[in-house]
Amino acid sequence: MKILVCIKQILDPDSPLTLEKSGSEVIPAGKTPYRMNHFDEYTLEEAFLIRDAFPGVTVDAISVGPARVQTTLRKALELGADQGIHLRTAGDQLMPVETAAHLAGYVRDQGYDLILTGAMAEDDMAAQVGPTLAELLDWAAVSFVIAEKLSPDLKSIYVEQESEGGLREAFSVDLPAVLSLQPGINRPRYPRLSQVLKARNQHLTVVAVKEAVDRAVQEASRRFLEPPRSAAGVILTGTPREKAARLWEIITSKALEKRHEG
Amino acid sequence: MKDKMIQVLIEQSSGTISRASYDAVHCARGISAGDSERVGLIVASDDPAPLARKLAAETGLDVTALQSAHLASSEALKQALTTLLLERPSKYLCLPHSAAGCDLAPGLALRLGAACITGVESVRREGEEVFFLRPVFKGKFYEEVQTSPQTTVLTVLPGMVKDVRFPASPGEVTVVAAAAGGPGRIRALGRVAAREDDYDLSLAEVIVAAGRGIGALENLPLVEALAALFSRSALGASRALCDLGWLDHKHQVGITGKTVAPKMYLACGISGTAQHLAGMRGSPCIVAINRDPGAPIFRVAHYGIVEDLTTFIPLMLELTEGE
Repeated sequence: MKILVCIKQILDPDSPLTLEKSGSEVIPAGKTPYRMNHFDEYTLEEAFLIRDAFPGVTVDAISVGPARVQTTLRKALELGADQGIHLRTAGDQLMPVETAAHLAGYVRDQGYDLILTGAMAEDDMAAQVGPTLAELLDWAAVSFVIAEKLSPDLKSIYVEQESEGGLREAFSVDLPAVLSLQPGINRPRYPRLSQVLKARNQHLTVVAVKEAVDRAVQEASRRFLEPPRSAAGVILTGTPREKAARLWEIITSKALEKRHEG
Repeated sequence: MKDKMIQVLIEQSSGTISRASYDAVHCARGISAGDSERVGLIVASDDPAPLARKLAAETGLDVTALQSAHLASSEALKQALTTLLLERPSKYLCLPHSAAGCDLAPGLALRLGAACITGVESVRREGEEVFFLRPVFKGKFYEEVQTSPQTTVLTVLPGMVKDVRFPASPGEVTVVAAAAGGPGRIRALGRVAAREDDYDLSLAEVIVAAGRGIGALENLPLVEALAALFSRSALGASRALCDLGWLDHKHQVGITGKTVAPKMYLACGISGTAQHLAGMRGSPCIVAINRDPGAPIFRVAHYGIVEDLTTFIPLMLELTEGE
């Protein structure tokens, strides 16, 4: 049984970022690193857990993008992926439907049974690649999966989908299928030193891909903006001690029940 | 059935309309610039007529009741909606940005030859032009997208509105039978029984919530000590913190956690993703403490404090010792 995990390399959203002048892209403000989308770390781990439970399962990692994404694929190998596949694009900023089209083009004759993606990427937050890829391949797909169990005959998979309020809907899904996984489905492992050393010399499969989608069908324009201004908020000023005193005043003014009163 | 420029898929579970559906209707209203004649609702199930009538009465909008036995399966629903929308083309289809909405939207868009914009927070109109605003990079920036002239499938983030009533006479209900078909490759097995939940965030007067920005598990007791100042307080958390395993998911506030509106919400080291904000922005007094002045939580906070928690909370505790 072959599992493919889709990995995205992103600009770390928790590091300083700024807008390119025309608003055409979000760019680093200083030494902002590229790293693996956190959602994908859980997804890789889930694939490893399936491999641990079912002998004969292989886990490949794939990423679409320019040359830089290879560092993140290498990280997937360090964590334990069997093979790394890089679909190299000329462009840098891909729409979800373009990424999905590149993936579908490669995956079609590779004999995968299960494709896993993160529920979304932390940069574009679109949650589209998984279901779009499934549609292009004509496979079944389930988003926001928070638990899975592969059937012993490897023909279907039981999944629980997380919906509003943390409620769960259960489905039985025929393979091949694409699942988009929620973080929190497991606790990702730390890389083992032996695996890290091994990954250093491991071969990456690199496939150059050409533009796959007519962008004009999708959108007329796109630009990035600073977040809309807050309506009424006050940022407290002064020394930390003054701010603490002011906050305590605010709390007191709200007549909330404090511990010593109750 | 009249042709509608904008259709909204209403999500329901045993006759109850999901909260996220209201946001989708609100978004449709924004696209239509308030012209309710141009907005139609779709409700799909094995027996959609009663809910369709209720919706038509409540909202004043026309409702299409899509009826078939297997619409709990996303594949059957996708096929039924494709057929409906190919026969009755709309310029916009709004879905809730829920698990089910995200299952449907990309495939529907491909089948309809439409653009797909997910996670839309608001709509801006400029004359006849419509722009969609969606958070990116965990809410630190926004993306404004204008789609090309044909059809656009949208998913709309929940949590912005509570109610949508159009002051009008009841809308018209049309029942449409979807083509019969099997459930396909995805068979719905029903809702998983909720696990024992011994932590009730909804009763708290004050919720002190922790996010990944607390930096280390060792700093969690500081947040707990802050919560302990109040007699009716509870400990909340962001999804990111729960996913790290620092607190159980029963503490989680947000779309996939609890929705809360305590008298005071104290967010400690929470960046404020759209998913989190949707669960707490209704609180009458929101205080945010975060080291990062760019954190989106400050946009909804009534009082913001840009400080490191490990120095600020001890100062707070020190102040209250004398009380």
